[in-house]
Amino acid sequence: MQRTRTYECMCLLDNREVRKGWQPLKEAMLGLFQKHGAKILSGKRWDERRLAYSIKGQPRGTYLLIYFTADTQGLTALRRDLQFNESLLRYLLVDCDEVPQTAYEPEGDFDVNAIPADDAPSPAPEAAPEVEVSSTRGAGKEAADADDTTETTESTTEAGS
Amino acid sequence: MTSTTSSTGGARDSGPRDGGPRDGGRRSKFGRFGARRREVLPEEPLDYKNIAYLAKFVSANGRIQSRKRTGFSGQNQRKLANAIKRARLVALMPFVGRM
Repeated sequence: MQRTRTYECMCLLDNREVRKGWQPLKEAMLGLFQKHGAKILSGKRWDERRLAYSIKGQPRGTYLLIYFTADTQGLTALRRDLQFNESLLRYLLVDCDEVPQTAYEPEGDFDVNAIPADDAPSPAPEAAPEVEVSSTRGAGKEAADADDTTETTESTTEAGS
Repeated sequence: MTSTTSSTGGARDSGPRDGGPRDGGRRSKFGRFGARRREVLPEEPLDYKNIAYLAKFVSANGRIQSRKRTGFSGQNQRKLANAIKRARLVALMPFVGRM
């Protein structure tokens, strides 16, 4: 049984590919969805930001948010194609009850050259804690280890008896 | 031989006013950490893209806070957890640690 639904797809794109040109990359991504029979309702850049954790060595990424309607049967093939796409770092494909009005607003200017360098040095680590604090922590750890040993011994004794 | 005496605080007459047992001895889930019952507002939806709002319900280690702390209903707590997990998948929020 064929059934059409509305979906929302958040695509996390590799900034190395984004720097080569935003519009061609965006059209290629939208074309991928259309190839599987999806009807694009909206597709625009959501944000370019630092990632919470680096993916494939990339600390930053560009998010493309796409709203589309598609047949439920064709979604498996679309997912497979998305997984094979090398310009995609991650994607999240979820059901969407209602497309927000902000999705239909025009996309703002995006200067690809203004993206910060991905290989920017990370901020210097904070100074090491004082020696006394670290020694205290070490002592606590040793004490905990000692307790563990004691417990192990006791359990062994109980098992033996 | 040591005998342990369990102190349950039974000497104090606790009641609903001080967060004690109510409705047949069942303790209320809410109010124990200062969290009041919280509703989801239309301007602050529980969506994975609303990271600034979701970050309020995550501990310093990146763990999702319990209903006792968030004050959400069961349904909204599930929405919150799903939104945070989705945000983690697309690297909007960390799995572990601070943002």
